[in-house]
Amino acid sequence: MFRTARSKVQTWITAGAGTIAALFVAGLMGAFGALPAHTPPLLPLDTATDAGRWRIRPVRAYVSHARTYGVLLKPGQKALVLEADMTNRTARSDKAYFDVFKPDGLALADPMPMIALTRDGTLTPELHPGMTERMAYVWPLAGEAAVPANLSFGVTAEIFKPRDNLYGTPGWFNPYRLGTITLPVADVPAPGTGP
Amino acid sequence: MSAVSTATGPIASEDPRRERKWRRRSLVALAILLPLTLAETCYDSLREWLHGEDLIARDVDFGQSAPFGGSDWKLADLRGGKAGRLPDHAFAVIATFTVTIGDPNLQKQWLGCKLMLTDAAGRRWLPDFISGVSLPAGLMTCTSAIFSGAKRGDVLTIGDTFIVPEDAIKTIRPAVGLGSERPWYLRFQRPPK
Amino acid sequence: MRIRILGNLVILASTVALSYGMQVSKPHYADLTAPIPVDGAMHDTVRARSFDVRLDKVVFARQLKTNQFGQEKSLTTSGLWAVVSTNLTATAASTTIADGTWQGPTGLRYRQTERLGYRQDMPPHGVDPGLEKRGLFVFEIPSDQIRGASLLISARQFGPLDAQARISLDGLPTGADGQPADVLPQYDLDAPQAQPPQGKS
Repeated sequence: MFRTARSKVQTWITAGAGTIAALFVAGLMGAFGALPAHTPPLLPLDTATDAGRWRIRPVRAYVSHARTYGVLLKPGQKALVLEADMTNRTARSDKAYFDVFKPDGLALADPMPMIALTRDGTLTPELHPGMTERMAYVWPLAGEAAVPANLSFGVTAEIFKPRDNLYGTPGWFNPYRLGTITLPVADVPAPGTGP
Repeated sequence: MSAVSTATGPIASEDPRRERKWRRRSLVALAILLPLTLAETCYDSLREWLHGEDLIARDVDFGQSAPFGGSDWKLADLRGGKAGRLPDHAFAVIATFTVTIGDPNLQKQWLGCKLMLTDAAGRRWLPDFISGVSLPAGLMTCTSAIFSGAKRGDVLTIGDTFIVPEDAIKTIRPAVGLGSERPWYLRFQRPPK
Repeated sequence: MRIRILGNLVILASTVALSYGMQVSKPHYADLTAPIPVDGAMHDTVRARSFDVRLDKVVFARQLKTNQFGQEKSLTTSGLWAVVSTNLTATAASTTIADGTWQGPTGLRYRQTERLGYRQDMPPHGVDPGLEKRGLFVFEIPSDQIRGASLLISARQFGPLDAQARISLDGLPTGADGQPADVLPQYDLDAPQAQPPQGKS
Protein backbone atom coordinates (compact mmCIF):
# COMPACT_ATOMS: atom_id res chain seq x y z
CA MET A 1 0.00 0.00 0.00
CA PHE A 2 2.74 2.34 1.02
CA ARG A 3 4.85 1.26 -1.95
CA THR A 4 2.12 1.84 -4.51
CA ALA A 5 1.35 5.27 -3.06
CA ARG A 6 5.01 6.24 -3.30
CA SER A 7 5.37 5.11 -6.91
CA LYS A 8 2.22 7.00 -7.76
CA VAL A 9 3.72 10.16 -6.35
CA GLN A 10 6.88 9.48 -8.31
CA THR A 11 4.92 9.09 -11.50
CA TRP A 12 3.10 12.32 -10.87
CA ILE A 13 6.32 14.18 -10.21
CA THR A 14 8.04 12.81 -13.30
CA ALA A 15 5.09 13.66 -15.51
CA GLY A 16 4.61 17.04 -13.87
CA ALA A 17 8.22 18.20 -14.02
CA GLY A 18 8.22 18.54 -17.81
CA THR A 19 4.96 20.47 -17.76
CA ILE A 20 6.21 22.79 -15.07
CA ALA A 21 9.46 23.41 -16.97
CA ALA A 22 7.54 24.14 -20.16
CA LEU A 23 5.20 26.55 -18.36
CA PHE A 24 8.18 28.28 -16.77
CA VAL A 25 10.02 28.77 -20.07
CA ALA A 26 6.85 29.94 -21.82
CA GLY A 27 6.19 32.43 -19.02
CA LEU A 28 9.74 33.71 -19.23
CA MET A 29 9.50 34.17 -23.00
CA GLY A 30 6.17 35.90 -22.67
CA ALA A 31 7.66 38.22 -20.10
CA PHE A 32 10.48 39.15 -22.47
CA GLY A 33 8.00 39.70 -25.25
CA ALA A 34 6.09 42.16 -23.09
CA LEU A 35 9.18 44.32 -22.64
CA PRO A 36 8.69 47.70 -24.35
CA ALA A 37 9.83 47.21 -27.96
CA HIS A 38 12.22 49.94 -28.99
CA THR A 39 10.71 51.97 -31.79
CA PRO A 40 12.14 51.51 -35.29
CA PRO A 41 14.76 54.21 -35.92
CA LEU A 42 14.62 57.06 -38.37
CA LEU A 43 16.75 56.10 -41.37
CA PRO A 44 19.16 58.57 -43.00
CA LEU A 45 18.32 60.06 -46.38
CA ASP A 46 21.79 61.07 -47.52
CA THR A 47 23.37 57.61 -47.31
CA ALA A 48 22.28 54.21 -48.49
CA THR A 49 20.79 51.84 -45.92
CA ASP A 50 20.93 48.06 -45.99
CA ALA A 51 17.39 46.72 -45.73
CA GLY A 52 17.53 42.97 -46.08
CA ARG A 53 17.71 42.09 -49.77
CA TRP A 54 17.96 45.71 -50.81
CA ARG A 55 20.30 48.62 -50.27
CA ILE A 56 18.03 51.63 -50.44
CA ARG A 57 18.52 55.36 -50.77
CA PRO A 58 15.34 57.40 -51.04
CA VAL A 59 15.70 60.32 -53.43
CA ARG A 60 12.47 62.27 -53.46
CA ALA A 61 8.74 62.03 -52.97
CA TYR A 62 6.02 63.97 -54.73
CA VAL A 63 2.39 63.96 -55.71
CA SER A 64 1.85 63.61 -59.43
CA HIS A 65 -1.28 64.49 -61.36
CA ALA A 66 -0.35 62.94 -64.65
CA ARG A 67 1.13 59.81 -66.14
CA THR A 68 4.35 59.04 -64.29
CA TYR A 69 6.99 56.73 -65.77
CA GLY A 70 4.36 55.06 -67.86
CA VAL A 71 1.97 54.45 -64.96
CA LEU A 72 -1.47 55.57 -66.08
CA LEU A 73 -3.91 57.17 -63.63
CA LYS A 74 -7.67 56.94 -63.75
CA PRO A 75 -9.51 60.26 -64.26
CA GLY A 76 -9.73 62.18 -60.98
CA GLN A 77 -6.85 60.29 -59.47
CA LYS A 78 -3.49 61.52 -58.37
CA ALA A 79 -0.48 59.50 -57.38
CA LEU A 80 2.01 59.50 -54.56
CA VAL A 81 5.43 58.83 -56.04
CA LEU A 82 8.55 57.79 -54.15
CA GLU A 83 11.79 57.56 -56.07
CA ALA A 84 14.58 55.54 -54.56
CA ASP A 85 17.90 54.06 -55.62
CA MET A 86 17.73 50.32 -55.12
CA THR A 87 20.63 47.87 -55.14
CA ASN A 88 20.14 44.13 -55.07
CA ARG A 89 22.30 42.80 -52.22
CA THR A 90 21.55 39.15 -52.92
CA ALA A 91 23.36 36.73 -55.19
CA ARG A 92 20.65 36.48 -57.83
CA SER A 93 18.31 38.66 -59.88
CA ASP A 94 15.22 39.48 -57.90
CA LYS A 95 12.07 41.58 -57.89
CA ALA A 96 10.84 41.14 -54.31
CA TYR A 97 10.81 44.87 -53.64
CA PHE A 98 7.04 45.42 -53.47
CA ASP A 99 6.83 45.63 -49.69
CA VAL A 100 9.97 47.64 -49.01
CA PHE A 101 8.27 51.04 -48.73
CA LYS A 102 4.84 51.81 -47.38
CA PRO A 103 3.47 55.31 -46.67
CA ASP A 104 2.27 55.80 -43.11
CA GLY A 105 -1.14 57.18 -42.29
CA LEU A 106 -2.55 57.36 -45.81
CA ALA A 107 -5.72 55.68 -46.97
CA LEU A 108 -4.54 53.76 -50.04
CA ALA A 109 -6.89 52.39 -52.62
CA ASP A 110 -4.44 49.56 -53.21
CA PRO A 111 -1.54 49.03 -50.81
CA MET A 112 0.43 47.39 -53.62
CA PRO A 113 2.22 50.15 -55.55
CA MET A 114 3.05 50.16 -59.24
CA ILE A 115 6.83 50.13 -59.49
CA ALA A 116 8.67 51.38 -62.55
CA LEU A 117 12.28 51.60 -63.61
CA THR A 118 12.86 55.34 -64.08
CA ARG A 119 15.22 54.73 -67.02
CA ASP A 120 12.47 53.71 -69.41
CA GLY A 121 9.32 53.02 -67.40
CA THR A 122 9.63 49.23 -67.47
CA LEU A 123 7.18 47.96 -64.87
CA THR A 124 8.63 45.76 -62.12
CA PRO A 125 11.74 44.46 -63.85
CA GLU A 126 14.08 42.15 -62.01
CA LEU A 127 17.02 43.98 -60.48
CA HIS A 128 20.39 42.33 -60.76
CA PRO A 129 23.02 41.78 -58.06
CA GLY A 130 25.04 44.86 -57.23
CA MET A 131 23.49 47.02 -59.97
CA THR A 132 21.92 50.19 -58.61
CA GLU A 133 18.79 51.38 -60.38
CA ARG A 134 16.40 54.20 -59.60
CA MET A 135 12.89 52.93 -59.10
CA ALA A 136 9.65 54.88 -58.78
CA TYR A 137 6.99 53.57 -56.39
CA VAL A 138 3.61 54.89 -57.53
CA TRP A 139 0.55 54.68 -55.27
CA PRO A 140 -2.67 55.91 -56.89
CA LEU A 141 -4.72 58.13 -54.55
CA ALA A 142 -8.18 59.60 -54.69
CA GLY A 143 -8.04 63.13 -56.11
CA GLU A 144 -9.23 64.79 -52.91
CA ALA A 145 -6.96 62.79 -50.55
CA ALA A 146 -4.86 65.03 -48.31
CA VAL A 147 -1.13 64.31 -48.33
CA PRO A 148 0.94 65.87 -45.51
CA ALA A 149 3.88 68.10 -46.44
CA ASN A 150 6.22 65.70 -44.65
CA LEU A 151 5.38 62.06 -45.10
CA SER A 152 6.78 59.02 -43.31
CA PHE A 153 7.36 55.75 -45.11
CA GLY A 154 7.83 52.52 -43.23
CA VAL A 155 10.76 50.44 -44.46
CA THR A 156 10.41 46.66 -44.30
CA ALA A 157 13.36 44.31 -44.39
CA GLU A 158 13.74 40.56 -44.19
CA ILE A 159 16.37 38.31 -42.67
CA PHE A 160 18.42 35.77 -44.59
CA LYS A 161 18.35 32.14 -43.61
CA PRO A 162 20.92 29.87 -45.28
CA ARG A 163 18.47 27.02 -44.72
CA ASP A 164 14.78 27.39 -44.09
CA ASN A 165 13.13 25.06 -41.63
CA LEU A 166 10.98 23.18 -44.12
CA TYR A 167 13.17 22.38 -47.12
CA GLY A 168 16.63 23.48 -46.02
CA THR A 169 16.87 25.91 -48.91
CA PRO A 170 18.31 29.42 -48.56
CA GLY A 171 15.89 32.31 -48.58
CA TRP A 172 14.67 35.57 -47.07
CA PHE A 173 12.11 35.36 -44.30
CA ASN A 174 10.48 37.11 -41.35
CA PRO A 175 9.75 40.62 -42.62
CA TYR A 176 10.11 43.26 -39.92
CA ARG A 177 9.95 47.02 -39.80
CA LEU A 178 13.54 48.19 -40.12
CA GLY A 179 12.81 51.87 -39.64
CA THR A 180 11.16 54.96 -41.01
CA ILE A 181 12.12 57.54 -43.59
CA THR A 182 10.55 60.96 -43.62
CA LEU A 183 10.56 62.98 -46.81
CA PRO A 184 9.08 66.32 -47.86
CA VAL A 185 6.36 65.73 -50.44
CA ALA A 186 6.29 68.24 -53.28
CA ASP A 187 3.18 68.72 -55.37
CA VAL A 188 4.09 68.45 -59.03
CA PRO A 189 1.32 69.76 -61.28
CA ALA A 190 2.63 68.34 -64.52
CA PRO A 191 5.78 66.26 -64.03
CA GLY A 192 7.90 65.11 -66.90
CA THR A 193 6.40 61.92 -68.18
CA GLY A 194 8.56 58.88 -68.58
CA PRO A 195 10.29 58.45 -71.88
CA MET B 1 -3.98 1.10 -11.36
CA SER B 2 -3.17 -1.51 -13.97
CA ALA B 3 0.43 -0.32 -14.12
CA VAL B 4 0.79 -1.32 -10.49
CA SER B 5 -0.87 -4.72 -10.80
CA THR B 6 1.25 -5.95 -13.73
CA ALA B 7 4.40 -5.58 -11.68
CA THR B 8 3.26 -8.21 -9.18
CA GLY B 9 2.16 -11.83 -9.11
CA PRO B 10 2.15 -14.63 -11.69
CA ILE B 11 1.60 -12.45 -14.77
CA ALA B 12 5.19 -11.21 -14.64
CA SER B 13 6.57 -14.65 -15.58
CA GLU B 14 4.52 -14.75 -18.78
CA ASP B 15 5.62 -11.33 -19.84
CA PRO B 16 8.88 -12.12 -21.67
CA ARG B 17 7.18 -14.75 -23.77
CA ARG B 18 4.32 -12.46 -24.70
CA GLU B 19 6.71 -9.67 -25.38
CA ARG B 20 8.79 -11.81 -27.71
CA LYS B 21 5.70 -12.91 -29.55
CA TRP B 22 4.55 -9.37 -30.06
CA ARG B 23 7.97 -8.23 -31.12
CA ARG B 24 8.02 -10.92 -33.78
CA ARG B 25 4.54 -9.94 -34.94
CA SER B 26 5.60 -6.30 -35.17
CA LEU B 27 8.63 -7.19 -37.24
CA VAL B 28 6.52 -9.16 -39.66
CA ALA B 29 4.01 -6.31 -39.83
CA LEU B 30 6.84 -3.92 -40.60
CA ALA B 31 8.01 -6.06 -43.49
CA ILE B 32 4.51 -5.92 -44.96
CA LEU B 33 3.56 -2.35 -44.12
CA LEU B 34 6.74 -0.64 -45.24
CA PRO B 35 6.52 -1.71 -48.90
CA LEU B 36 2.79 -0.99 -48.81
CA THR B 37 3.40 2.55 -47.59
CA LEU B 38 6.02 3.06 -50.26
CA ALA B 39 3.64 1.85 -52.96
CA GLU B 40 0.83 4.02 -51.66
CA THR B 41 2.95 7.19 -51.60
CA CYS B 42 4.30 6.49 -55.10
CA TYR B 43 0.93 5.65 -56.56
CA ASP B 44 -0.37 9.18 -57.07
CA SER B 45 2.82 10.51 -58.65
CA LEU B 46 3.05 7.46 -60.88
CA ARG B 47 -0.54 7.80 -62.01
CA GLU B 48 -0.13 11.50 -62.68
CA TRP B 49 3.00 10.87 -64.70
CA LEU B 50 1.37 8.10 -66.74
CA HIS B 51 -1.61 10.31 -67.51
CA GLY B 52 0.63 13.13 -68.70
CA GLU B 53 2.83 11.29 -71.19
CA ASP B 54 2.22 9.77 -74.60
CA LEU B 55 4.05 6.53 -73.98
CA ILE B 56 2.32 3.60 -75.67
CA ALA B 57 1.43 3.80 -79.34
CA ARG B 58 -1.75 2.32 -80.74
CA ASP B 59 -1.10 1.91 -84.47
CA VAL B 60 -3.84 2.60 -86.98
CA ASP B 61 -3.66 1.67 -90.65
CA PHE B 62 -4.26 4.32 -93.26
CA GLY B 63 -7.92 4.55 -94.18
CA GLN B 64 -8.98 3.00 -90.89
CA SER B 65 -10.57 4.97 -88.09
CA ALA B 66 -9.95 4.34 -84.42
CA PRO B 67 -12.04 5.27 -81.37
CA PHE B 68 -10.04 7.63 -79.17
CA GLY B 69 -11.20 9.97 -76.46
CA GLY B 70 -14.86 9.21 -77.19
CA SER B 71 -14.62 10.01 -80.92
CA ASP B 72 -13.52 8.26 -84.10
CA TRP B 73 -10.20 9.48 -85.52
CA LYS B 74 -9.05 8.90 -89.07
CA LEU B 75 -6.03 10.28 -90.88
CA ALA B 76 -7.33 12.24 -93.85
CA ASP B 77 -4.17 13.63 -95.36
CA LEU B 78 -0.48 14.15 -94.81
CA ARG B 79 1.39 16.40 -97.18
CA GLY B 80 4.72 18.14 -97.10
CA GLY B 81 6.55 20.64 -99.22
CA LYS B 82 8.34 23.93 -99.38
CA ALA B 83 6.06 26.76 -98.36
CA GLY B 84 6.37 30.02 -96.54
CA ARG B 85 9.49 31.05 -94.65
CA LEU B 86 11.32 27.92 -93.61
CA PRO B 87 14.79 27.24 -92.21
CA ASP B 88 17.30 25.53 -94.50
CA HIS B 89 16.86 21.79 -95.02
CA ALA B 90 13.34 21.90 -93.63
CA PHE B 91 9.90 21.15 -94.98
CA ALA B 92 6.42 22.31 -94.08
CA VAL B 93 4.02 19.48 -93.28
CA ILE B 94 0.26 19.62 -92.89
CA ALA B 95 -1.46 16.71 -91.19
CA THR B 96 -5.24 16.48 -91.40
CA PHE B 97 -7.61 14.21 -89.48
CA THR B 98 -11.28 13.50 -89.95
CA VAL B 99 -12.96 13.13 -86.58
CA THR B 100 -16.49 11.88 -85.98
CA ILE B 101 -17.62 13.13 -82.60
CA GLY B 102 -19.02 10.50 -80.24
CA ASP B 103 -18.87 11.96 -76.76
CA PRO B 104 -19.48 15.69 -77.21
CA ASN B 105 -17.89 16.59 -73.86
CA LEU B 106 -14.67 17.57 -75.60
CA GLN B 107 -13.45 19.81 -72.80
CA LYS B 108 -13.16 16.73 -70.62
CA GLN B 109 -12.24 14.10 -73.20
CA TRP B 110 -9.78 16.15 -75.25
CA LEU B 111 -8.04 18.03 -72.48
CA GLY B 112 -4.36 18.45 -73.32
CA CYS B 113 -4.95 17.45 -76.92
CA LYS B 114 -1.72 17.13 -78.86
CA LEU B 115 -1.15 16.56 -82.56
CA MET B 116 2.33 15.27 -83.26
CA LEU B 117 4.60 13.90 -85.93
CA THR B 118 6.92 11.06 -85.04
CA ASP B 119 9.77 9.63 -87.08
CA ALA B 120 11.49 6.26 -87.21
CA ALA B 121 14.04 7.37 -84.60
CA GLY B 122 11.27 8.26 -82.14
CA ARG B 123 11.73 12.02 -82.39
CA ARG B 124 8.58 14.11 -82.06
CA TRP B 125 7.48 17.38 -83.57
CA LEU B 126 4.73 19.59 -82.24
CA PRO B 127 2.79 22.05 -84.40
CA ASP B 128 4.66 25.17 -85.50
CA PHE B 129 3.53 28.45 -86.89
CA ILE B 130 5.02 29.00 -90.33
CA SER B 131 4.97 32.59 -91.48
CA GLY B 132 3.39 32.72 -94.90
CA VAL B 133 1.41 29.49 -94.45
CA SER B 134 -2.12 29.54 -93.12
CA LEU B 135 -4.33 26.57 -92.33
CA PRO B 136 -6.64 25.58 -95.21
CA ALA B 137 -10.21 26.83 -94.85
CA GLY B 138 -12.41 24.61 -92.68
CA LEU B 139 -9.46 23.15 -90.82
CA MET B 140 -9.49 23.49 -87.05
CA THR B 141 -6.65 23.03 -84.65
CA CYS B 142 -7.20 20.61 -81.83
CA THR B 143 -7.62 23.36 -79.25
CA SER B 144 -10.10 25.34 -81.26
CA ALA B 145 -12.11 22.15 -81.84
CA ILE B 146 -12.48 21.69 -78.09
CA PHE B 147 -14.34 24.98 -77.88
CA SER B 148 -16.21 24.64 -81.18
CA GLY B 149 -19.35 23.26 -79.49
CA ALA B 150 -19.41 20.21 -81.77
CA LYS B 151 -22.29 17.79 -81.19
CA ARG B 152 -22.51 14.03 -81.37
CA GLY B 153 -22.28 12.81 -84.93
CA ASP B 154 -20.55 15.95 -86.23
CA VAL B 155 -17.58 15.40 -88.49
CA LEU B 156 -14.68 17.78 -87.87
CA THR B 157 -11.55 18.30 -89.90
CA ILE B 158 -8.70 18.80 -87.51
CA GLY B 159 -5.12 19.50 -88.44
CA ASP B 160 -2.03 21.62 -88.00
CA THR B 161 1.22 22.68 -89.61
CA PHE B 162 4.65 21.36 -88.67
CA ILE B 163 8.24 22.12 -89.57
CA VAL B 164 10.24 18.95 -90.11
CA PRO B 165 13.91 18.53 -91.12
CA GLU B 166 14.79 16.93 -94.43
CA ASP B 167 16.25 13.77 -92.89
CA ALA B 168 13.03 12.90 -91.08
CA ILE B 169 10.51 13.60 -93.82
CA LYS B 170 10.76 10.04 -95.22
CA THR B 171 9.59 8.33 -92.04
CA ILE B 172 7.27 10.75 -90.30
CA ARG B 173 3.93 9.48 -89.06
CA PRO B 174 1.16 11.60 -87.57
CA ALA B 175 0.03 10.90 -84.01
CA VAL B 176 -2.60 12.14 -81.58
CA GLY B 177 -2.48 12.29 -77.79
CA LEU B 178 -5.45 13.15 -75.55
CA GLY B 179 -5.56 13.74 -71.80
CA SER B 180 -8.31 11.18 -71.28
CA GLU B 181 -6.40 8.40 -73.05
CA ARG B 182 -2.83 8.84 -71.89
CA PRO B 183 -0.48 6.97 -71.62
CA TRP B 184 -1.89 5.60 -74.89
CA TYR B 185 -1.71 7.58 -78.09
CA LEU B 186 -2.80 6.95 -81.69
CA ARG B 187 -0.14 6.61 -84.39
CA PHE B 188 -1.26 6.49 -87.99
CA GLN B 189 0.30 4.78 -90.99
CA ARG B 190 1.20 7.21 -93.76
CA PRO B 191 -0.99 7.33 -96.79
CA PRO B 192 0.44 5.14 -99.57
CA LYS B 193 2.37 7.06 -102.22
CA MET C 1 18.86 -6.82 -15.92
CA ARG C 2 21.86 -4.54 -15.62
CA ILE C 3 23.29 -5.93 -18.88
CA ARG C 4 20.02 -5.29 -20.62
CA ILE C 5 19.90 -1.68 -19.53
CA LEU C 6 23.50 -1.25 -20.59
CA GLY C 7 22.76 -2.84 -23.94
CA ASN C 8 19.81 -0.54 -24.49
CA LEU C 9 21.96 2.45 -23.66
CA VAL C 10 24.59 1.33 -26.17
CA ILE C 11 21.91 0.92 -28.84
CA LEU C 12 20.47 4.33 -28.03
CA ALA C 13 23.86 6.02 -28.13
CA SER C 14 24.83 4.40 -31.42
CA THR C 15 21.46 5.34 -32.94
CA VAL C 16 21.96 8.95 -31.91
CA ALA C 17 25.48 8.91 -33.33
CA LEU C 18 24.31 7.34 -36.58
CA SER C 19 21.41 9.81 -36.98
CA TYR C 20 23.68 12.74 -36.29
CA GLY C 21 26.23 11.46 -38.75
CA MET C 22 23.56 11.05 -41.41
CA GLN C 23 22.20 14.53 -40.74
CA VAL C 24 25.61 16.12 -41.03
CA SER C 25 26.80 14.19 -44.06
CA LYS C 26 23.66 14.14 -46.16
CA PRO C 27 23.33 16.74 -48.93
CA HIS C 28 20.68 19.38 -48.45
CA TYR C 29 17.35 19.37 -50.21
CA ALA C 30 18.30 22.34 -52.37
CA ASP C 31 21.43 20.51 -53.57
CA LEU C 32 19.62 17.22 -54.05
CA THR C 33 16.98 18.75 -56.29
CA ALA C 34 19.22 21.25 -58.06
CA PRO C 35 19.53 21.20 -61.86
CA ILE C 36 22.22 18.86 -63.16
CA PRO C 37 24.95 20.83 -64.95
CA VAL C 38 26.31 19.77 -68.34
CA ASP C 39 29.60 21.54 -68.91
CA GLY C 40 30.90 22.87 -72.18
CA ALA C 41 32.99 25.55 -73.84
CA MET C 42 32.17 28.34 -76.27
CA HIS C 43 31.54 27.21 -79.86
CA ASP C 44 31.03 23.60 -78.69
CA THR C 45 27.67 21.91 -78.90
CA VAL C 46 26.55 21.17 -75.36
CA ARG C 47 24.05 18.35 -75.11
CA ALA C 48 21.53 18.85 -72.33
CA ARG C 49 18.68 16.40 -71.77
CA SER C 50 16.01 17.97 -73.94
CA PHE C 51 18.05 20.33 -76.13
CA ASP C 52 21.46 21.04 -77.66
CA VAL C 53 22.96 24.49 -77.38
CA ARG C 54 25.99 26.06 -79.00
CA LEU C 55 27.20 29.48 -77.92
CA ASP C 56 28.18 31.40 -81.04
CA LYS C 57 28.89 34.97 -80.06
CA VAL C 58 28.81 37.43 -77.17
CA VAL C 59 28.51 41.15 -77.90
CA PHE C 60 28.86 43.84 -75.25
CA ALA C 61 27.17 47.20 -75.67
CA ARG C 62 26.38 50.29 -73.64
CA GLN C 63 22.97 50.72 -75.23
CA LEU C 64 20.47 48.46 -76.92
CA LYS C 65 18.34 49.63 -79.79
CA THR C 66 15.08 47.80 -80.20
CA ASN C 67 11.65 48.16 -81.66
CA GLN C 68 8.84 48.03 -79.12
CA PHE C 69 5.26 48.28 -80.35
CA GLY C 70 6.46 50.04 -83.48
CA GLN C 71 8.52 52.48 -81.46
CA GLU C 72 12.29 52.83 -81.63
CA LYS C 73 13.71 52.50 -78.14
CA SER C 74 17.20 52.91 -76.85
CA LEU C 75 17.70 51.08 -73.59
CA THR C 76 20.42 52.09 -71.16
CA THR C 77 21.79 50.21 -68.16
CA SER C 78 23.95 50.90 -65.14
CA GLY C 79 26.33 48.16 -66.32
CA LEU C 80 26.77 46.65 -69.74
CA TRP C 81 24.42 44.83 -72.05
CA ALA C 82 25.60 41.37 -72.99
CA VAL C 83 23.89 39.96 -76.06
CA VAL C 84 24.53 36.23 -76.34
CA SER C 85 23.73 34.48 -79.63
CA THR C 86 23.17 30.77 -79.38
CA ASN C 87 22.28 28.01 -81.74
CA LEU C 88 19.54 25.79 -80.33
CA THR C 89 18.08 22.40 -81.29
CA ALA C 90 15.70 20.04 -79.55
CA THR C 91 16.96 16.50 -79.05
CA ALA C 92 13.98 14.16 -78.94
CA ALA C 93 10.84 16.26 -78.99
CA SER C 94 9.73 19.80 -79.73
CA THR C 95 10.26 21.85 -76.59
CA THR C 96 10.90 25.34 -75.27
CA ILE C 97 14.07 26.78 -73.77
CA ALA C 98 13.10 29.55 -71.41
CA ASP C 99 15.86 30.29 -68.93
CA GLY C 100 19.24 31.90 -69.37
CA THR C 101 21.51 33.03 -66.54
CA TRP C 102 24.88 34.78 -66.62
CA GLN C 103 26.84 33.42 -63.67
CA GLY C 104 29.64 35.69 -62.54
CA PRO C 105 33.05 34.48 -61.34
CA THR C 106 31.92 34.51 -57.69
CA GLY C 107 28.60 32.83 -58.39
CA LEU C 108 26.35 35.89 -58.67
CA ARG C 109 23.46 35.02 -60.96
CA TYR C 110 22.19 37.51 -63.52
CA ARG C 111 18.97 36.38 -65.09
CA GLN C 112 18.08 37.37 -68.64
CA THR C 113 16.60 40.84 -68.87
CA GLU C 114 12.87 41.40 -68.74
CA ARG C 115 13.09 44.88 -70.20
CA LEU C 116 12.80 43.93 -73.86
CA GLY C 117 9.26 42.61 -73.84
CA TYR C 118 8.21 39.94 -76.28
CA ARG C 119 10.44 39.28 -79.25
CA GLN C 120 10.64 36.37 -81.65
CA ASP C 121 14.35 35.79 -81.04
CA MET C 122 14.14 36.08 -77.23
CA PRO C 123 13.26 33.35 -74.73
CA PRO C 124 11.19 31.28 -74.48
CA HIS C 125 12.67 29.73 -77.61
CA GLY C 126 10.51 27.09 -79.27
CA VAL C 127 12.80 24.47 -80.80
CA ASP C 128 12.26 21.35 -82.88
CA PRO C 129 14.40 18.22 -83.27
CA GLY C 130 16.79 18.36 -86.18
CA LEU C 131 16.25 22.06 -86.86
CA GLU C 132 18.80 24.64 -85.76
CA LYS C 133 17.54 27.96 -84.52
CA ARG C 134 19.29 31.16 -83.55
CA GLY C 135 18.23 32.29 -80.09
CA LEU C 136 19.29 35.37 -78.17
CA PHE C 137 19.78 35.75 -74.45
CA VAL C 138 20.28 39.33 -73.26
CA PHE C 139 21.75 40.22 -69.88
CA GLU C 140 22.51 43.31 -67.85
CA ILE C 141 25.80 42.78 -66.05
CA PRO C 142 28.46 44.87 -64.30
CA SER C 143 31.73 44.86 -66.24
CA ASP C 144 33.57 43.08 -63.40
CA GLN C 145 31.40 40.00 -63.86
CA ILE C 146 32.82 38.98 -67.24
CA ARG C 147 36.14 37.29 -66.61
CA GLY C 148 35.57 33.77 -65.31
CA ALA C 149 31.85 33.88 -65.97
CA SER C 150 29.70 31.10 -67.36
CA LEU C 151 26.38 30.94 -69.14
CA LEU C 152 23.62 28.71 -67.74
CA ILE C 153 20.86 27.63 -70.11
CA SER C 154 17.95 25.47 -69.05
CA ALA C 155 14.50 24.64 -70.29
CA ARG C 156 12.72 26.16 -67.30
CA GLN C 157 13.64 28.52 -64.51
CA PHE C 158 12.91 26.02 -61.76
CA GLY C 159 13.83 22.69 -63.24
CA PRO C 160 14.77 20.37 -60.41
CA LEU C 161 16.91 17.48 -61.62
CA ASP C 162 16.68 18.65 -65.22
CA ALA C 163 19.83 19.28 -67.21
CA GLN C 164 21.34 22.76 -67.32
CA ALA C 165 23.95 23.63 -69.93
CA ARG C 166 26.87 25.40 -68.25
CA ILE C 167 29.07 27.06 -70.83
CA SER C 168 32.34 28.55 -69.69
CA LEU C 169 32.93 32.04 -71.08
CA ASP C 170 36.72 31.91 -70.72
CA GLY C 171 37.15 32.57 -74.41
CA LEU C 172 35.89 36.14 -74.20
CA PRO C 173 38.63 38.67 -74.93
CA THR C 174 39.14 40.92 -71.91
CA GLY C 175 41.79 43.49 -71.08
CA ALA C 176 44.18 43.35 -68.14
CA ASP C 177 41.59 45.09 -65.95
CA GLY C 178 38.95 42.46 -66.72
CA GLN C 179 37.00 44.84 -68.95
CA PRO C 180 35.82 43.42 -72.26
CA ALA C 181 38.12 44.18 -75.17
CA ASP C 182 35.30 45.46 -77.34
CA VAL C 183 32.24 47.35 -76.16
CA LEU C 184 29.89 48.80 -78.75
CA PRO C 185 28.31 52.15 -77.96
CA GLN C 186 25.03 50.79 -79.29
CA TYR C 187 23.77 47.43 -80.52
CA ASP C 188 20.78 47.21 -82.80
CA LEU C 189 18.78 44.06 -82.08
CA ASP C 190 16.83 44.45 -85.29
CA ALA C 191 19.80 44.86 -87.60
CA PRO C 192 19.99 41.99 -90.08
CA GLN C 193 22.37 39.33 -88.84
CA ALA C 194 25.24 37.95 -90.81
CA GLN C 195 24.39 34.27 -91.37
CA PRO C 196 26.27 32.11 -88.89
CA PRO C 197 28.55 29.60 -90.61
CA GLN C 198 26.63 26.47 -91.55
CA GLY C 199 27.47 23.12 -90.02
CA LYS C 200 28.65 22.35 -86.55
CA SER C 201 32.17 22.96 -85.33
